[in-house]
Amino acid sequence: MNEERRQVLEMLAEGKVTADEAERLINALEREQIESTSPAVARQKPRPKYLRVLVEDNSEQPSRINVRVPLQLLRAGVKLASLIPPRALTRVNAELDKAGVPIDLTQLRPQDLEELVEHLDDVTVDIDDPTSKVQVFCE
Amino acid sequence: MIPQLVTVGYRGSRGRWRRLYVPVVPVVVVLSPLLLLAAAAGLVMCRVYGISPAGALCGAGRLVWALPGARFELDDGQFGLRMSIR
Repeated sequence: MNEERRQVLEMLAEGKVTADEAERLINALEREQIESTSPAVARQKPRPKYLRVLVEDNSEQPSRINVRVPLQLLRAGVKLASLIPPRALTRVNAELDKAGVPIDLTQLRPQDLEELVEHLDDVTVDIDDPTSKVQVFCE
Repeated sequence: MIPQLVTVGYRGSRGRWRRLYVPVVPVVVVLSPLLLLAAAAGLVMCRVYGISPAGALCGAGRLVWALPGARFELDDGQFGLRMSIR
């Protein structure tokens, strides 16, 4: 039993508050406790807006690539890809098959790609090598 | 929001960075006759390949609308390139 609740019950025992008032005070304290222990509910994490790709190469000739792509752009690209006609997809599948890549693009639905982009928020790739460093994350 | 400004920076062999600011709307207005021709060609291509022109236009519009905020930087020893769309 916490301190505030004990104080409310003591006030009730001393007749300083009625039973109804004590019940309302205890309910208010419980609500405050729930809000303070679950900050995820009270403060929603802001959704990431960009996909960042950072590549650093520290070999003999150092190079650096820094790309920031809005996630909205990826979603728009996915929607545009859904306009590709079936004839073109069949042709691409045939070429992929010839190259030994067993992917059937006709099975790929726009909803699957949309879900993939939605879950990109949680993707973090961090590769640290003596000569290179690759980071992929959403911010 | 449509892109308002494209900034392109490049570093040549001398090592100095040069920056180019391209305002999108005035450039689109100036190049509008060429863009109309490109739109007409796009319409023909959509008919040839069986793509819905309205869908293609909506998709292209969504793509352009989502461009602000994109940034690309490449630094490769002597050569450097930076591009940002605001």
